[in-house]
Amino acid sequence: MTSTQGAVGQSIRRLEGRAKVTGRAQYVHTLRLPGMLHGKVFRSTVAHARLLGLDASAARALPGVHRVLVGQDILAVMPDPHYGPAFHDQPVLALDKVRYVGEPVALVLAEDPHVAEEAAALIVARYEPLPAVYDEVEAMDSTAVVHEVLKPAGTFPDLKHLQGKRDTNIALDYSLRRGDPDGAFASADHVFEHRFRTQQVLHVPLEPFVSAAVPGEGTLTLHTASQSPSFVRIEIARLLGWPENRVRVQVPYLGGGFGAKLYIKVEALAAAAALIVGRPVKIALTMEEQFFTLTKHAATLRIRSAVTREGRITARECEVWWNGGAYADIGPRITQKSGFTAPGPYDIEHVRIDSYALYTNLPPAGALRGFGIPQLVWAYESHTDMIARELGIDPVEMRRRNILREGRPQATGTVMRDAAIEQVLERTAERMRWSEAFDRGSGTRRRGRGIAIGFKASVSPTTSVAIVNIYADGSCALYCSTVDMGQGSDTAMAQIVSEVLGIDIDRITVVHPDTDVTPYDMATLGSRSTFHMGNAVRAAAEDARSKLIALAQDVGVSVETTPIGEIFRRKYGMQAGNVVGSGSFVPAYTPTDHHTGQSDNVTPFWMIGATGVEVEVDTETGQVTVNRLVNVGDAGRAINPAIVETQLSGAAIMQLGFTMTEQMRFRDGQCVNPSLADYRIPGILDIPAIIDNERVDATQSSGPFGAKGVGESGTFGVSPAIASAIEDAVGIRLTSLPITAESVLRALREQQGRPLQAD
Amino acid sequence: MKPFELLEPRTLREAATLLHAAGDAARPVGGGVAIMLMLKMGVLQPETLVSLASVEDRYSTIALDDDGQLRIGALATLRAIERSGLVRDRIPVLAQALRRLSNVRVRNVATLGGHLAHADPHMDLPPVLIALGASVRVVGPAGERVMPLADLHAGYLETVLARGELIAEVTCPVQGSRRAAYLKCTTRAADDWPALGVAAVLEAEGEVVRSARLVVSAATDVPTRLSRAEALLRGVRIDDALLARVGEAAAAEVTPIGDEHGSAAYKRELLDVYVRRAVRAALAAR
Repeated sequence: MTSTQGAVGQSIRRLEGRAKVTGRAQYVHTLRLPGMLHGKVFRSTVAHARLLGLDASAARALPGVHRVLVGQDILAVMPDPHYGPAFHDQPVLALDKVRYVGEPVALVLAEDPHVAEEAAALIVARYEPLPAVYDEVEAMDSTAVVHEVLKPAGTFPDLKHLQGKRDTNIALDYSLRRGDPDGAFASADHVFEHRFRTQQVLHVPLEPFVSAAVPGEGTLTLHTASQSPSFVRIEIARLLGWPENRVRVQVPYLGGGFGAKLYIKVEALAAAAALIVGRPVKIALTMEEQFFTLTKHAATLRIRSAVTREGRITARECEVWWNGGAYADIGPRITQKSGFTAPGPYDIEHVRIDSYALYTNLPPAGALRGFGIPQLVWAYESHTDMIARELGIDPVEMRRRNILREGRPQATGTVMRDAAIEQVLERTAERMRWSEAFDRGSGTRRRGRGIAIGFKASVSPTTSVAIVNIYADGSCALYCSTVDMGQGSDTAMAQIVSEVLGIDIDRITVVHPDTDVTPYDMATLGSRSTFHMGNAVRAAAEDARSKLIALAQDVGVSVETTPIGEIFRRKYGMQAGNVVGSGSFVPAYTPTDHHTGQSDNVTPFWMIGATGVEVEVDTETGQVTVNRLVNVGDAGRAINPAIVETQLSGAAIMQLGFTMTEQMRFRDGQCVNPSLADYRIPGILDIPAIIDNERVDATQSSGPFGAKGVGESGTFGVSPAIASAIEDAVGIRLTSLPITAESVLRALREQQGRPLQAD
Repeated sequence: MKPFELLEPRTLREAATLLHAAGDAARPVGGGVAIMLMLKMGVLQPETLVSLASVEDRYSTIALDDDGQLRIGALATLRAIERSGLVRDRIPVLAQALRRLSNVRVRNVATLGGHLAHADPHMDLPPVLIALGASVRVVGPAGERVMPLADLHAGYLETVLARGELIAEVTCPVQGSRRAAYLKCTTRAADDWPALGVAAVLEAEGEVVRSARLVVSAATDVPTRLSRAEALLRGVRIDDALLARVGEAAAAEVTPIGDEHGSAAYKRELLDVYVRRAVRAALAAR
């Protein structure tokens, strides 16, 4: 073992890059198994109804159809077939009710997927329609109730109090109280209140949901495109009433995840079907079916601030209604985890937050890159600029006067540590040349600029475990259940192993998640892998290093001067044996108080991201062009700087789509644009001509080699920065996403006193 | 998608005969772009697809005919037309329009015949070719006929083609001294289908227009000539005041249809703006 190679901090090329660009990387979508049946889902066409009956006779009669399964059939292998991370509310197939258009009602199995699809179209369902609710604010006191009985899952210790409110659509109400907001509002120089809305959007991974289940002798193997293999094993074992060790979950590369492929998606249906028919079953959803599986929360946000004449914010009140759709998924956790950052990265003495997770009759909403933060930042940063404009204070200066500085308590009472908020703000302003003159355009083309900053807490409580196995020739493997879904985690983890053991990166392999082989990890979510798994991997590598040192001492040599292979040969007389190190990481954490939302240690680390934009507005058409996009983040010390920068720009571009073009449109609860032809994500021609990415010089002292997560930070500021830049250019303020050309032109015309007709 | 039989005739006439015999149960397939989407959505469930991939080579060629017009085979891909030196040289506005038509993956396989016969008003080339005065030659089981392209489209996804009739080629007068531009407005992503397209073809001397052809697409069911706006342009010098009247006339003479790209009211505004800009762009072109 030689001295460390200095792998950490290097922009090492991605380990999987060649396999992916040459088309050799394996995905579940390309998996073919002997004797495999294909499953096609028959889906609900009504938003809320009692399911009276199903006629599948024509489907069963179609030549080539092996079996048609309905909700009752699932009971044979899963006595209570309801799953979900926060509530056990989602049935594998609909039982007595359907709760959204697109909900799975039956499954057709056939050897030919086209036959299965044709048969699914022959199934007829009879429904008794029920009143439906779609809007999150209406859902608060709607007489239409999506779930008659609420069944908390009890999975997460921090959501122990989760009960839901019976006979309402409220799955979780989270509140935070700090100081005396009423008193502060009563004595304020100024009070500002605004309301904002965000729309329902989709993750759009280019690989849709796919799972294949293989029954064995009292065992089950799942090949699935999942971000959470350990959760899938535990939840499938629970549904089957089996011990964990009889369920094996294997995950190869993912074609994108973005939070969609967490918890159970099609795994339970594939597992039940395979066990019922005794053959491998693969369910591969189409791009269109993704629109009926998991989405991002639409939200309504009300925010009110007490502000002094000098622009100091003394109190803030936030009310957030999250549209969770028909099943809670991880929505309650978003409501709480993201809820407590609703006042923004500002030092505000008096705070009141009420955040509600609501059921509606829309497709379920869950985690999506940012986990609720982009919705909140949209509100609090738009609000901040509206106040600044009203008071005649420069937007950057307004933020400087209120920014949450190191060592000061956040709304939960947790004192900020290793959070480079101020630095990120200042670097963004510098990259934007904020204090310099700016060309504001002329005629029908007006230019403006905007800036916005956001922050996010990391997930906790949470656990990661890793194993490092040194082989007798000095090469090495890392066993960990982090899923490389395109974010480059394999490379970063290998860099950490390389740094600790001094083994060259091309002699390290990363074994992909296989719950029979790789140890437990909570999931690949919330930008947690670099920090949490990174710490576990570092501990495992250090454990292996100590054992190797002991082995060397045992045979009378030094690891500093003797090659690893030689140490093994001396010990075993030939190329044989292993050194296995293991490590785990569980961060310290104090749960928030249920009544006040207070905690002295609410997060293992903070993520900080800011965005600056320059836009050009066509005043005759309302079209907005983002000419420049500046993304600045605090990633601590980067393990791989190049990957950090692509994470910043990738996240920002994704949020650019959610800001400008993407929107699931509904009619009577039915999504009417469920395809990439009608739901438009940004293409290469929509990308700003100039994108600057910067990591500020910062260290996360509790992170592996000073690093922390950065996968979401680029999303935070994009939407409000664009809205503010538009106001800077043409003087109109939009409070609802997406910002379409038409919405801009309509606002311009209102301002000019010659509004467009409504149609 | 339901299973279907795939036929691959060697001649266009044979294809027309097969389609005529099979009736509604059969569909022709050129590049297969639009039809694949419709098959996957279940909008079309044909028993037979008649592929045009193996018909005579001359239906994919681009050449000048004897009277100096450009003849483009219906099976020429959009990419081949975009890259054709003849097209760039003789009808530059067509090559320019193609550069922003959908994306290169679509242009690599989509054919001109399919692009026109699909009769989706969001297609980019119909307004350009109609404004240039193009015509189509149609082959059917009983023979051939030639019609102005302006007469091809009968409604949303509808043409005047009879059962078994196939577009064989498009003939388009070269641009010559005419100045032309095609502007389109996409409202969701740059390579989205347009909310509005406007083609302008002008004969002009300096800033004085002798004659003008203006065609709007995407906002209406079929590509539509803007006759009143054209009339205002004839024989006059272009200035902002005149263009304002031209834009207003255009917005008043058609009734745009609201859809996911924009409301009818918004498209009326776009039409006003884009007609003015298209005339300016055409004047600025060579």
